[in-house]
Amino acid sequence: MSNSNLPAIDAHGLTKRFGDFVAVDSLDLRVETGTVVSLLGPNGAGKTTTVRMLATLLRPDGGEARVGGHDVVREAEQVRRLISLTGQFAALDKNLTARENIVLMARLRGHGRVDGAAIADELMERLDITEFGDRLIKNVSGGQRRRVDLAAGLIDRPQLLVLDEPTTGLDPRSRQVVWGTIRELVAEGVTLLLTTQYLEEADALADRVVLIDHGREIAAGTPAQLKAQVGDQRVDVVAVDDDGVARLEGLLGERYDIDVFAETRVISISAPGQATDLARIAAVVAESEIPVDEIALRRPTLDDAFLALTGHPADPEGESENAEPTEVTA
Amino acid sequence: MSTIGLTESDVREAGRLSYLRDTVLLTARSLRAIPRVPERLLDVTIQPIVFILLFLYVFGSAIHVPGISYKNYMFPGIIGQSLAFGIIGAGVATCNDLTEGVIDRFRSLPISRLSIITAQVLGQCCEALLGMVIVVAFGLALGWDPRITTAHGIELLVLIPLGILAFGWAGVWLGMIVRSPDAMQGLGFIIVFPLSFMAGTFVPISDMPLIPRTIAYWDPISALVAAVRLLTEGVHSSGSWQLVHPVQAMVLWCLAILAICVPLALRRFNRTLAS
Repeated sequence: MSNSNLPAIDAHGLTKRFGDFVAVDSLDLRVETGTVVSLLGPNGAGKTTTVRMLATLLRPDGGEARVGGHDVVREAEQVRRLISLTGQFAALDKNLTARENIVLMARLRGHGRVDGAAIADELMERLDITEFGDRLIKNVSGGQRRRVDLAAGLIDRPQLLVLDEPTTGLDPRSRQVVWGTIRELVAEGVTLLLTTQYLEEADALADRVVLIDHGREIAAGTPAQLKAQVGDQRVDVVAVDDDGVARLEGLLGERYDIDVFAETRVISISAPGQATDLARIAAVVAESEIPVDEIALRRPTLDDAFLALTGHPADPEGESENAEPTEVTA
Repeated sequence: MSTIGLTESDVREAGRLSYLRDTVLLTARSLRAIPRVPERLLDVTIQPIVFILLFLYVFGSAIHVPGISYKNYMFPGIIGQSLAFGIIGAGVATCNDLTEGVIDRFRSLPISRLSIITAQVLGQCCEALLGMVIVVAFGLALGWDPRITTAHGIELLVLIPLGILAFGWAGVWLGMIVRSPDAMQGLGFIIVFPLSFMAGTFVPISDMPLIPRTIAYWDPISALVAAVRLLTEGVHSSGSWQLVHPVQAMVLWCLAILAICVPLALRRFNRTLAS
C-alpha cells in the first residue's frame, strides 16, 4: 500500500462521444483524498457521463482516469471495490422492500445473512428508512427511494463515494436527511464526488467546485472563490408587463448593474448588501410608481453563475442529463 | 479512511467461488418478483391458454389430422410454441430491468459481470419453466393424454430446459440490443409469432401451400414442435431432415443459438450499456 498520497480521482483529457455528440470533452478532474468536490452544471453538461466513466459503467473514448491509482479501464475490478456510485435515478429493485434491497447489496459485497441484516438495520436507522423499510420500493415516494439508494451506496463505508445529483427533485425533508448524512460522512473523512445542478448545494457541501458545461470545465475553485465571481445574493424585480420591463430597465439600469430576463419579466440586480440593497431597490421602485409583481432577495443560482463566468446563460436547450445517443444525436 | 487503495491479493482473495454465490443471490432476487408481480407469470401463460381454448374448441373442429386426435396433436404444438415465445418474455424483462437502473448498480459492484447476466438468464428460465408447468397442467386437466415412454420422458426432461435456456439467452441478448420493451414485443409479433404458427403447431405442414411449407421445413420452431410431438405422442413427422430427426435437430438448433447468443450477449453486456 504505497498509495497514501495518491489522489482519489485523477482524470486527464477524459472524453466520451455518443455518435456525433460529445458528452464529455477533454475533462481534467482531480479529487484529493479526504475532500469533497462538486461537479456543478446544468442538465446535459456531462456530469452523469463523467461519473459513469469513473465508476466503470462507461468506457471513455479518450483520455484516462485513475481511481485510487487504478485505471478505470484496465483495472476496473479494483476500481469497483473502491468506488460507490449512487445514481440520479434510484437504482433499486422495485419488487423488493427497502430492507431486502439493502440486504441484497450487502450480501453481494460479501457479507453473510446475519451480517447483511445488521448492516441494513444500522443504515436504515441512520437514513430514517426504518418506518417504511418493509414496503416494496415501487410503493414508496421518490425521496424515500433516494434515501434507500444512498443507504445501499454506504455499505462498507466506501473509500470514495460518488453521488450523482443526490437531491434533485427531493422533498425538503428528504433533502435535509441526505444533506445531514453527507455532512456526517464528510466529518468521518470520506472522499466525496458530488454532482449537482444547485449552486447552493455545492456551496453547502463542497471544498472545491468544478463548474462544467458541454462536457468542459468552465471554472473551478473553492465555493468562496466562485461566489466572489458570481456575486452573493441577488434582488429580482418582476415587472407586471413588457412595458414595465422596459421602464424598470431604464430606471434601474442607470443606478445598478442589471441583468434582464425578458421572457420572465425579471430584472436581476447583484445585492452584496443583501437586505439593505433590497430595501434600497424597493424604495427606488416604489418612488417611480412603476407597478411590479414582486421584489425579492434570493440566493444566486446556477444560471447566475453561468452568466457571470461565461457571459451567457446555461444552455436552455440542455439535453436530458443522461445524454444518450437515442435522445441526442437524432 | 485517509488512504485509498487495494493490494492485488485483496482482489484475488475474492476468488472464483464468489461467482456461484453472486449468481445464486441475484437469481433469488429475480425469483422473488414472481409472487409479487403475478401478472408477469400471466404473460407467459395467458397466451398459450387462450390458444389452447381457441384451437381446441373453435378452430379444431375444422382441422383433421389423420391417425391422432386433434387434442393430442395440438398440445405438443403448444409446448413447442411456448418454448419459442420464451424469447419474447426474456427480451421484454431484460429491457425493463435495464431501464430501471438496478442492473447498473450491480455492474458497479465488485462482482463478476458474468454472474449478473447468468442470473438474469436463470431467472427468466425459471419463470418460463414455471409457465410451462402451468400450461402442461392446464392441458392435462382438459384431457390431453400423452403417451410418454420412460426413455422419451428422460429426453424431454433434458430437451425442454435446454430449449428454455437457448431461447432465454437469445431473448436476453435481443433485449439488450432492442432496449425498448415495446420494440421487443413488436419484433416478437413480426418474427416469432408467424414462425410459431407455421411450424406444424396447429395444422399439418404437408397440407400448406409451397412457400409456407418450405419455410416450415426449415423453421427451427418446427423442430421443437416435431420433437415434443415425437416424445409425447410417438408420432413421427416428415418432409425435411429436421422433421425426420426432430430431437437431433432441436439439440443442434439450441446449441447453435447458444453458441451465437451467449458470446454476443456477454460482449454486449460488458460494453457500454448506458441506461
